[in-house]
Amino acid sequence: MQTRFEHFAATSMLGEVDAPPRCDGTLAFQNEWERRAFGIGLALSKEGYFEWEDFRTELIAEIAAWEASHDLGDPSWHYYRCWLAALEKVMAKAGLLER
Amino acid sequence: MNDRFNYSSSREAESAAKVQALEDLLIEKGVIGAETIDQVLGFFETQMGPFNGAKLVARAWLDPAFKQRLLQDTTAAIAELPFPPGMAGAEGEHMKIVENTPDVHNLIVCTLCSCYPWPTLGLPPYWYKDPTFRARAVREPRKVLEEFGLSIDPAVEIRIWDSSAQIRWFVLPERPAGTDALSEDELAALITPEAMMGVAKVKARAATSP
Repeated sequence: MQTRFEHFAATSMLGEVDAPPRCDGTLAFQNEWERRAFGIGLALSKEGYFEWEDFRTELIAEIAAWEASHDLGDPSWHYYRCWLAALEKVMAKAGLLER
Repeated sequence: MNDRFNYSSSREAESAAKVQALEDLLIEKGVIGAETIDQVLGFFETQMGPFNGAKLVARAWLDPAFKQRLLQDTTAAIAELPFPPGMAGAEGEHMKIVENTPDVHNLIVCTLCSCYPWPTLGLPPYWYKDPTFRARAVREPRKVLEEFGLSIDPAVEIRIWDSSAQIRWFVLPERPAGTDALSEDELAALITPEAMMGVAKVKARAATSP
């Protein structure tokens, strides 16, 4: 049996800098918009609008940019804000933001 | 919930509005359907996760014949339960379960990579991929377990199971005392991923509400 895309995508991030927050073996979302943003990123890549690795590269760059401009203990750290910024970038590149 | 995430409600509202706008745009353009996002999320929330392993353990506690089959041929026993097809495929296909007994406590690690039976256990906790944890768990398991708040009697043997691409181990934890009256679902609600990795015991009164 082939690996499901969702399975592949989540596994590829584990243990890396862009691993999503988890709790008790499940994805941890503080708010519904984080859940939706996560779902949009996976769904678009699954449908082939961009490569998962390209999205991850943007996400890792967003995280690195945040780390470069903040103290690491800064409580304003927010994984899904980085996710959202990365998502907007890959969506723009894929021409998905044009009406 | 954690207060530090509430420091800026306007940024929260802004992010929420942005995500909503993106989703609306994608649906309007016909890029995704109204159900697409929920389907992707459903994979993590209802198909692949620690609730699968918890169901197996609860069933094994209640049904000795199933337990025997689970210990003998984990993959075949998993196939008896109505799990989604992915459970028996991909990373889930080479799974073996080891039983904790009064004399033996099992601990799952992976010293080479990070093979993890996540269709059964869900996404691994952050420390599982930490090389220090893996190396120390093999070298001084008793001490590492104590750091997890789990004190194992010196008379109990600790066995380490090293997961690999070929075999992904998970633990059949002991059923806690005082749970005789619980149903299979109630039992499953007590079982944590940590208990199925061997870094915790199942407690009779864990949070039963979701």
